[in-house]
This record gives sequence, structure tokens and C-alpha cells, in this order.
Amino acid sequence: MSFITKPKITHPGLPKNDIGLTRRDYEGGMSTLCAGCGHDSVTAAVIEAVWGLSIRPEQLAKLSGIGCSSKTTAYFDSGGHGFNGVHGRMPSIATGAAAANRDLYYVGISGDGDTLSIGFGQFAHAIRRNVNMLYLIENNGVYGLTKGQFSASADIGSKAKRGEENKQPPVDPVMTALMLGATFVARSFSGDKEQLVPLIKAGLRHNGFALIDVLSPCVTFNDHEGSTKSYEFVRDHYDEVVHADFVPPATEITAQYAEGHALPVTLHDGSRILLRKLDPSYDPTDRTRAIGYLREKLQQGEHVTGLIYVDQSSSDFHAVNNTTATPLNQMAYEKLTPGRKGMEKIMGRYR
Amino acid sequence: MHTTANAQDRVNDFVLKLANVNGTGSASANTLLMKSMFRMGIPVMGKNYFPSNIQGLPTWYEIRVTREAYVARSGRIDIMVAMNAETYQRDVREVDPGGYLIYDSSWPRPTLLKRDDITILGVPLARMCNETFKGVRARILLKNIMYSGVLAALLEIDLDVMRALLAESYSSKKSLLDSNTQALEIGYNYAREHFPCPLPTRVARMDKTANHILIDGNTAAALGCLYAGATVGAWYPITPSTSVMDAFKSFCQKWRVDPETGKNNYLIVQAEDELAAIGAVIGASWNGARAFTPTSGPGISLMNEFIGLAYYAEIPAVLFDIQRVGPSTGMPTRTQQGDIMLAAYASHGDTRHVLLFPANPEECFHQAIDAFDLAERLQTPVFVLSDLDIGMNDWMCPVLDWDESYKPDRGKVLTKAQIENLPTKFHRYLDLDEDAIPYRTLPGVHPKGAYFTRGSGHNQYGGYTEDAAEYQIVLDRLRRKFERAKSLVPKALIDASGNQAAIVSVGSSDGAVREALDILKSRGVTLDYMRIRAFPFGPDVEKFLASHSLLFIVEQNRDAQLRSLLTLETPIEKHKLRSILHYSGLPISSSCIVDGVLAELGNEKRLVNSG
Amino acid sequence: MVNRESNVFPGILGRVCDRPCEPACRRGRVEEKPVAICRLKRVAADHRDDVTQFLPRAPRQKNGKRVACIGAGPASLTVANDLMPLGYDVTIFEKWGTPGGLMRTNIPSFRLPASVLAEEIGYIVDMGVDLRLGTPIESLKALLDSREFDAVFVGSGAPKGKDLSLPGRHETQAVEDHIHIGIDWLESVAFDHIKSIGKRVLIIGVGNTAMDCCRSSLRLGATEVKVMARKPRNFFKASDWELEDAEDENVEIVINHAPKSFVVENGKLTGMMFDRMEYQLDGNKILSEKVAGEVFFPCDDVILAIGQENAFPWIENDLGVEFDKWHVPKVDKLTFQSSRPDVFFGGDAAFGPKNIIWAVEHGHQAAISLHRFLQGQSVRERLPALLNLSSRKMGLHEWSYKNDYNPVERRLMPHVDLKERFKKINIEVELGFNAEQAAAEVQRCLNCDVQTVFDAKLCIECDACIDICPVDCLTMTANRPEEELRQHLKAPSRNKTQPLFVSSALKHTARVMVKDEDLCVHCGLCAERCPTAAWDMQKSTISIPHASDESPSCTPPQTLKIA
Repeated sequence: MSFITKPKITHPGLPKNDIGLTRRDYEGGMSTLCAGCGHDSVTAAVIEAVWGLSIRPEQLAKLSGIGCSSKTTAYFDSGGHGFNGVHGRMPSIATGAAAANRDLYYVGISGDGDTLSIGFGQFAHAIRRNVNMLYLIENNGVYGLTKGQFSASADIGSKAKRGEENKQPPVDPVMTALMLGATFVARSFSGDKEQLVPLIKAGLRHNGFALIDVLSPCVTFNDHEGSTKSYEFVRDHYDEVVHADFVPPATEITAQYAEGHALPVTLHDGSRILLRKLDPSYDPTDRTRAIGYLREKLQQGEHVTGLIYVDQSSSDFHAVNNTTATPLNQMAYEKLTPGRKGMEKIMGRYR
Repeated sequence: MHTTANAQDRVNDFVLKLANVNGTGSASANTLLMKSMFRMGIPVMGKNYFPSNIQGLPTWYEIRVTREAYVARSGRIDIMVAMNAETYQRDVREVDPGGYLIYDSSWPRPTLLKRDDITILGVPLARMCNETFKGVRARILLKNIMYSGVLAALLEIDLDVMRALLAESYSSKKSLLDSNTQALEIGYNYAREHFPCPLPTRVARMDKTANHILIDGNTAAALGCLYAGATVGAWYPITPSTSVMDAFKSFCQKWRVDPETGKNNYLIVQAEDELAAIGAVIGASWNGARAFTPTSGPGISLMNEFIGLAYYAEIPAVLFDIQRVGPSTGMPTRTQQGDIMLAAYASHGDTRHVLLFPANPEECFHQAIDAFDLAERLQTPVFVLSDLDIGMNDWMCPVLDWDESYKPDRGKVLTKAQIENLPTKFHRYLDLDEDAIPYRTLPGVHPKGAYFTRGSGHNQYGGYTEDAAEYQIVLDRLRRKFERAKSLVPKALIDASGNQAAIVSVGSSDGAVREALDILKSRGVTLDYMRIRAFPFGPDVEKFLASHSLLFIVEQNRDAQLRSLLTLETPIEKHKLRSILHYSGLPISSSCIVDGVLAELGNEKRLVNSG
Repeated sequence: MVNRESNVFPGILGRVCDRPCEPACRRGRVEEKPVAICRLKRVAADHRDDVTQFLPRAPRQKNGKRVACIGAGPASLTVANDLMPLGYDVTIFEKWGTPGGLMRTNIPSFRLPASVLAEEIGYIVDMGVDLRLGTPIESLKALLDSREFDAVFVGSGAPKGKDLSLPGRHETQAVEDHIHIGIDWLESVAFDHIKSIGKRVLIIGVGNTAMDCCRSSLRLGATEVKVMARKPRNFFKASDWELEDAEDENVEIVINHAPKSFVVENGKLTGMMFDRMEYQLDGNKILSEKVAGEVFFPCDDVILAIGQENAFPWIENDLGVEFDKWHVPKVDKLTFQSSRPDVFFGGDAAFGPKNIIWAVEHGHQAAISLHRFLQGQSVRERLPALLNLSSRKMGLHEWSYKNDYNPVERRLMPHVDLKERFKKINIEVELGFNAEQAAAEVQRCLNCDVQTVFDAKLCIECDACIDICPVDCLTMTANRPEEELRQHLKAPSRNKTQPLFVSSALKHTARVMVKDEDLCVHCGLCAERCPTAAWDMQKSTISIPHASDESPSCTPPQTLKIA
């Protein structure tokens, strides 16, 4: 962390988005994470994406559990409400919040401990409910705040800072999400904003639960030789399978792609994700084959990244619950009470 | 005592107990019996003693016919309908001398019938069912209706009232209505032909149930949620709270579906566990919806971490704890008041919570609404501590009336315009009005109102802190806020006529206490009475405690939790308190209280004014 | 003393400098106003303790070389300042009875009190300079022929004010008496020869001299002073702050009026006629102009402040000192040597009117040349300026400089009350910053001396520096030619004249780290957030050599100062 806060300097050349705000308007408090932490880069990517989508700062609700990753919700969009809940339980808070107001964008930020250990159940059930939210895992394979224990995402054979080797198999959030029926599954890397920023944009606009597992190295406890989640290892074992470009509504796709290499997917608000397939044989809309591909690459020790699976046809949380279009927290009381007449009617049943 | 000479005493004042096997459809027959008598204008009380089981274990239903309109168990059994071979011996033993036992005589069991101080009436129910109806399942179900017919004849219950009730239940299923009516009549006719009807223990029309309903507390609580404007319910099924959400859902399906769009103006989340349920409630409340979760003790245990978060981050939440027998899984289908301490101080660190103690379904309705108003006014979790007895049994209550002038108290929530016009930055935890309650803002309203909600140390401006002084400012205000709650929560109900000794109780113990007071009075002992309806205890509670020299604390748990809370949270001297405790899992009876008081008074007679 | 090292006259320049440094100040790129460098120098000068013991001293043992300086202005005084400690005998010839040159004669005492002037000149003269006051040099030939001196430095300034030949200029003596040449008039005011002026005064021209003229007029009895400008405001030569100060004193500045004639009635000046100009502009370029009519402005006096030039009637043609066709001496821009090796020029005398701080710099450079020349060395082989870097890192996030960006705006200079200040001509208008203002103003500094230094070998490409940078001046991208690189920066490149900093290829991806220095505020956050110390904040100390740093000399060469 730093003693001084990031100075607020708005130099005249700073670009503005459609609602006249600069990136700086989407920043939050100063990070208290270690210098060089991947999480800070994810924060910057979120800022870039939210700014790029011209979301009003207050339209974003930021939710998190406990851990290094969960702290980051304080570091962006100070104009939006934040909620740093309890360990592993962010998905339930997000579920309730989303139930109360379907009009906001919900960004949940979690870590590998928060999601894959203590919060594994809630993570799974948020996927089952298809809560309309962007769920970012800042995955570094290690417990930072308690100083370096392996997490549930640590790979077999990955070495701790003092040399101890992890012997338990990892829980892969991407594979898990695919198995559970998630409708937007991506993996990215904190050090690759060109990939991450459009993924975040697409995830925010996706109708339903969007998971992005972001490999986000821990510079203090897991960036050494022998780690499979260090900056160097991730860069060396990086397999981007589908690159997603986010295309806002009413924007023409002008670039030309070879046959079978590009696949436009239209989101419910009219925006599109243009999927550029780096491996032409890969089909990001085929869940079964995605799982197979992933398993194969996992065995080779490769980190498959990009938009691995997307399905725009499924019903989200509110569709399943047939919820009214007006956010529930804005319903007038008069619409909610059966009144005195209603009471008389109800009482009839109990006489 | 129980001779025919006194038979007249048993008209409209007796206890009928029905022993059944779980899962045989006895509940509808027993309800039919009770409701028929209720419709005849006779006050009734029903208690269901059922197992934690879906099918096969024994279950009992107790109907007290009480012309005095008492709402507690009396502690005696006048008529036993013994339909469960497994519990037969025990059921026979339970009948008070002079009482009656009705059994299925299709299979003779002379060895079991060893009592000569009661009248035993055998009815070949199974045989008659087998002769009349087809299908094993139907026969089992209709056997129950058949004994209802037998009882109608014996007790002189108006058969037309029963037929009408059946017609209401099976209005859309003609064949079922016909078979049920037939079974009812077979039983009725058999009794008329074989027994001297009616028995001296019987019913006679009264007019004491007009403007009353029979309703269970969970349904009433759900109705309260509906009228409070709750839109989000999150829960994990747990006995005995399940029917709260079941009822809420059914009310919503009727009253909360937009007639134009067919869309739901509510959302119920059946969560993966209680942790997620309370999480969703907190998320929804944080976001400005009225949200609640019904649960029971084990659920509260699981929710502890989140409850502490809501307390410290000052997020409204409404929890219904339908208490059951603990510890651990305990006896899930039996009642207790065992969560008082758990709820009062739920979660780690310094936490204290607002508790409401309804005593009956009527109060479940009203306190559900109070709970939402208090939760949002005080920005804190509020517990409605009901129990299985109130929640799952049908109680006779006055018809619920609705005051159209009610407006929900949404508490100190800043509007968009108010945020816009703030002269300074928004500070979430600042005590601007010096009433210990800060202002809050909702997400999505205005960027100037944004703040960061956290369970970690924060200062009054809402910022993260590890500074001792800053931390304490907030903690001290939370204590003052809790003090402030004393003037906002429902006051205790007090019946005082200057006696030195008094009874203090809470929740569902009330009915038994009131009956006990009458009995004690008839024996020359008069006591004052206070029923506490909320925690924190207000000045009215303290004053009552101070002005009595002997206080019987009546509650349904082993460890005298109410008494503990009173000694912790009021200046009461411990030596003035005597506990009367009941923790069998069955609802407390008046006799237990009478016995307890009289035993104590043997030692302390000087303190009691003779009535 | 640091303040005096290059500047020589911090008290004087801290008040009246033209501040060429302030437009260069990078604070002006972040917000509009640069750091008030000039006034901070005054703070440092005014609030110093006794510095006498630290001042340079002339050695007892002289080196036998003698230098003559003509004119006791800032250039000559600087030469003396630099050469005296080296053992030279310096003689300064001054036509007036007091030293200071233009600083004394052309800058009104309400801007620069005489005491400040006297003190700072005194520091130099007191080293033993032979100051010959009231001794105008009438002939350079005579001076050279006297063989009294081994070299001559001409620092006689640009003492000739430009005149304006328009109808009516010389109509009668009475008219001439009311039309004044600005610098001459200021000189007369400085020496108390002129003590009053008419009620209505027109000043022609909008340079700094015009500003001094109009404000002096107000103090000599004028009540209605107008400064007449030919062009629109963005073409004014006067410094913004001098314009502001004049306007604060209710001087009216009239734009787009070109003087046409002096209007004389009954042999007396009654006013001036102007052409009202209209311009078609494209930014700072005049595309076309036209006269849109005539306007008469009545007045009692006119002061002409339309420029000045140097004049050397006392330099004979056959001395080997060559002049160009505009009668400007041919002087080497690096060495300040004229075409005659033993004659050097500096200050306004060298390249025409500039300002005091340039005169000081000329003096420094000429002193180096004089020293090398008199030691028989090439005047062109001079010591280079040196740069030394040293890390400022002290702890995890502690730096030995104040790295936090302070958003305060430039402090406003407190002034003497408007009524009070006109009572006497020598009431100093500017009060100087108080301690609090100075402390705040200092914090506006963006620490250009503390450099961001990047070591590509250490970088793990974690993006931390890029994410934290408050001005988005850092980018990691594939290397390209500079013009293309500018298209790929995180923040648009605005100042193309400032080259980009580009690192060597990075370890993992072979991208490069690019920094657009134009935007940087030197907050050091990139270095603070850098996990591998690939970024460091290092203080750069520029060592600019003066004559004393040259060798060989009579005193041992001073080592370069390293912070």
C-alpha cells in the first residue's frame, strides 16, 4: 500500500465516455494490497470496462466476501455502493440484492479461498439460480492475508514459497461452473487487459451469471519459481482459445475474419460479443466439448483463457421467478398490501 | 370426582385426544372435528404432537373444548381415540378416570383392555371401511373420517356443520366429497346404533366464537409479512418454520401477482442453507427491500456470523425463529422457548438484538409488521421469537382487522433529492440527530450517497479503521441505539392489582399462565402478572420487577433463559426471582404453573395476599 | 546561498524577474498556473539569515589580470561576482552616480526597493571591485589604449528608448515637454528629476516598461492613465502579472488603437488621434487588418514605451569590434566574445533588450570566457553541465522528497492597500508571501528534479505502475517508431515536442515500457507500487559550471556539487 493517495489530477486530454466521465471518476480508495498484486490490475480492468460501457457510477453495486480479492471492491467506483460481507457468502448477498433491485449491475469479487473453499456452496448455488451478476475470481492459488497457505485452486506439484509441494488436486472454477450449467464462463489473466477488459464488459452485459476466473498472481506469496500461478508461469502456459471483443449496440462490426474464425453472439440488450476463435476447431457454444477441451489442456498444464463458454438463451434469476419489471425495492406500498377488503376476504378462510 | 354425577361439568369442558399414525391423513379428520365444534360457537384449542417423520411414527392431536376459552393444555384427557396399535397401551393409561376410550375393534384385543375406571367403546372401523371402500390408501384415509362420525354421535356435534366443512374442502372433487360424507355417516350411524348417545361428556352450542378465527401463528406471521410490504423472502426449509414461507407464498400467489402482466411482485429464494437465506435477506434489505427469513434454532445458530454483520453494519433484517426443542437437532417437532439467549446475543463480539415475543397468532401478525418497522427504524436485525406451539397449532383468535392508515416506517433513508442537497459528504454512521440512529442510502440512487458497507472496523464516516477511538465511537453509539429501542418496542402487558407476588412470562406460556391465575385465584391466591413482549426490556418492565417482592418467571426451557436475561439486563435482585420451568417439548399446562406456585408459596406464604 | 549561486541577485530577481522559468514550469501543464518560482526566490532571499560568512571572497593574492567592465548593470556585476574570487582585478565604469544600471533606473522603487538593490550589489562590490561611478566611457579606443586592462566586458545595456515620429511630435517645445521617452522618463523619476505629471496620461505600448510608466504616473499625480495598444491582448509583450498589477491600480488598457498623430491646439498638446484597428485572427496569427475609423483621446502627457535599443556611439569603428547592419555588435552566442578577442559583450548590450536574468547568465558565461581567455585557453572548450542521479527511496513507501501531489492553486501575492500605495512612490506594493503561503506554494512543485528511473531487467510486467499512475503517463506496448507509439499511449500524447521515454524490451513479452514525461507529476506511485523496484525515484542534480569551476585557476577548482 501507499501512504499517499493517488492524486486527483484531471488533465485536459483525459478521454471522456458517453456520459461525460473520465476513468478517474470510476476509481475508488487507495489499494492496501501489496505492490504488484495482480488484483490491482483486475481493479484497473474493471474501471476501464465500466467506464467504457458508460455505466453511471451509482448503477454499479460491488459485492465481496473476505480476503485480499474481496478488499478490492473498495478500490473502484467510489460512486457505487460496496458491500464487503462475510467470508465466502458474497453470492447470497448478491442474490438478495439482485432480488431487491433488478436494475443495477452487480459485480461480485471473490478469491480462490472465498469461492472454492468456504464459499463453494454459495458459488454453486448462485450459478444454479443464474443470478444476473458478474462474478470475478481473483485466483492466485494462495491465502495471502494468512501468509501463504495453499488454496483449493493450487495445482498439484505447485510449490509454496518455502518449497513445500501441494499434493491435493485443485478445484477448477471454470470446470465447476461448466458442470453446474453456468451460462458465461471465461478465464483471463490480470496481466492481459486486452483480453480481460472486453470480457468484463461482456460479462456485465450478459443476462445471467457471468464467471470470469482471473489468474491474478500474488507477488508476495506465489510469484516464485515452482509456482504455477506466477506472472512468468502464466505467461509461459497461456492458451487463449477464444478472444471476445465487446461490440456496443448499434455498432457495426467492420473487421474481416477468416471463415469459421469469428462468431458474433448477441446479448439481450442488443450489444454483441464478437468471438475470435484462435483455435478454429473450438466451439464456445458447445458445453460438452468445452469441458473436454478444458480437461485435455489441464492435463498438459496449460491455462486455457478467453471466453470458454457462452449461452444467451437461458433464463436468468428474474425470468425464472417471473419477477415484475419494476425493481421490488421501488414498488409502492399500495401495490403490495391487500388492504382492509383483502383482509376481510382472507379472514373468511379461517372462520 | 369423575362420576356421572359430575357429568354436567364436562359439557363443553373436556379434552379429546386422538392417537394416530403419522402419514395416514388424520390431520384433516382432526381439523374437521375441531372446526365443527368451533363453528358451533364453542371455544376450542388444538395441539398437534407429531413426530419428526413423514410416515409411520405415532402422532397425537389434542382438542380441548373449553367454554372458558382457555388456550393452554389443561393436563388431563377425557376421551381418547386410540387408532395406533403401537401406542395403544400408553394411550389407554393416559385417560383420566371416568373417561372414555374409543378403539378400532375390527381385531379384538382383550389383553390390552385392562382398565375398569374408564368406559371403553369399540368400533369396527377397519372392517366397515374394508367393506365399503376400495383401495388400501382410501380405506386408511377414510377410517379417520369414520371415527369423526362416531365422535359426532357421541359428543353431539352438529352433523350438518361437518358435512358443510367437508363440502368446503372437496368443493372441486365430487367423488372425494361423496366418499368422505359416506364414511362420516357410517361412523355416525354405527355409534347411534351401538352406544347411548350422546355421552355425558359432550358439546352444546354456544355463541362464543363469533368474530373469531382459527389460525396458526405461522400463517398469521406470513400474513403480517404480506401486509408489511415484504417483497423478498429467503429461507431454508426447517420445521417448524416451513409453514411461514408456505403461507407467504400462497398469499403472494393470490395477492401479489400483477393482474395486468401476470408478473410477481415478490420473490422467494429457497436458499441452499440458512447461511445463504440470511445473506439474501441482508442483501435485499441493504438494497432497500423489506426482506425476511423464517427459521428455527438450528438456523439461527448457522446465521450467527451474518447476524453480527447486519448488527455491526446496521442493516435491517427480519428473522422469525419458530423455536423448537434443542439442543442440537433436539426434537424438531416439539415446542420450547429455548432460543431466548441465543437470539438476544447472537453472533460473536458485542452484539445485542431486538426480540419480539408473540404469544399467539394474532400477535404473530402484528409483531411481524412491528418487526419490519423496527428493523428499518433501528437499522438492525429484529427477531420474532415464536415457537412451534404458536406457529403450527390452530389457535382461536379474534378476527384480524386491518387499519388502512398504516404506512410502513422505512426509517432514515435519504432520498435522491436529499442526497443531492447534502451540504457535506454523506457519512453513513454519523449520529446527526443525536438519537443514535444514522442515515442510510440505497444503492443506485445517487453517487454522492455511495458508501462502503463492511463488517470490519469502521468509523462513523463509514471508512475502514483500526483506530481504537474511532472504533469505540461507533460501538458506543450502537449501545445507545439499543437503549433507544427500549422506547420503540411493544410494551409489556401488565395485570396488576397491588399484589406483592407476580408471575412474569413470555410468548406462548401466556395461555397457561392466565388459566393458572384463575385457578390460583379460585384457591385464594391472587398474583399480579406481566407478559414481556420484547427485548430490550423497557422501563415498564423494570418498574414492574422493582415493585414486586416475589416474581415467578414462567418459561419453557431448562435453563431459565428469560430469568437470566432479566438478571443481566435489568437491576433486579436475583433473590426475588423464582423459576417455573417446563421443557418436555409439549406446550406448558396451567397445572404445571399452579403446582409450581403453590409449592413455592408453602415456603413464602407471608408474601401473598389472600384473595 | 543556493539561491544566489546562479541567480546572483535573488532579492532583486525575486521581485522583478521576467520569469522565463515559469512558462516552462510543468505545473502549468497540469493546471493553468505554474509554481510561483520567482516569488519563492524572494521568500528565500528575504527570510535568509546573515549570509556574509558564506559569500565568495577575493583572495589576498591577486592573479595580476585586470578586467574592465563597462556599465554597472547586472551583466557586469555578475562578471565581477564570478571573477573576483579567482583573483582578478575588476574595474566597473558607470556613468551614473549609483550602480545597478537599468535595475536602478528603469524599475520603479515601488517594485524594487533601493535597499534590496544596494544590499545585493554591495555583496559583489565589497569583494574589492574598483567601482568608478560617474565615469562614463566616452571612447573604447582610449580605454584599450590605456593598457590598464587585459580585457574589456561591455555590459552597458540598451539605453536608447525608441521615439515615435508622428505629426505634431515636435511642434513646439511645450509639446515636446509633455511627450516622454519611457525609459528616460523612468530614469528621471528614479533620480528624482521628475516629480509630477499631468492628470491624464497616455502610455503608448504594452511592454513591461509601459507598465512601469503607467504605474509610476499614478504615483506622480496622474488620475486617468490609459495604456494604448495597437493589437489585441494576446499580442501584448508585458508579462501577465504586470498587466494584472496595472489593471488592479485602475489603469485602463485600450486595445486595437494605432497611434496616428499628436493633436496640438494653441501650441499645446491636447491629446492623440488613433486609428481604430480591426483584425482577422487565426489563433495567434493575424490574417488581415484594417482601419475602422479614427478616435481622439485627450491627454496632458504621453509616454512612449515602444521599445529600446542598444547604442554604442563610443565604440570606434577601427578597433576590430565589428557591427552588423543594424549596428548590433557581432558577438559569439556561446562565448560572448566580440570579433576582437579581448572585448566581450553581455546583457542587453550583446543581443539587444532581454531581461535581467539573461544579463546574469551572460555575465556568468562571459566570466568563463574571460577567465579562459586570460589564462590563455580556448574560450570554446568549456566544462559541460553535469547530471548526477541518486535514489530517493527510504522505506517501503517513504521517499526523501515530498511526493504527494498537492492540488492547491497558485497562492495570490498580497498587496499593499490600493489607497495606501499611492502615497509615496517608494512604497513596495508586493508584500511577499508569508510563511504559510510560501509553504503551500512550495508544495505545488512537481519535483522535476526527482526522476522516474526504469530498469527493464527487473520488470515482471504486473501492470501495477500503469494502474496506479494518476495521469496515465505509462504504457506497456509493442515497440514501434515514436510517431506510431504516440498513437498507442494510454493517455493521448499532447506535447509532441517532449520526446517519449522508451525502455528496452521487457523480459516476459518483449514489449516496451513507454513514458510520456509531459504528463508525469513525479508522485512516485509507480515506484511505490513496483514490487521489484524496476521503477525508482532518483534525484537529479544538474551541475552548471561557473568560472570558479574552471581550471587551471588561482584557486583550487571546486568539486562538482553532488546532492
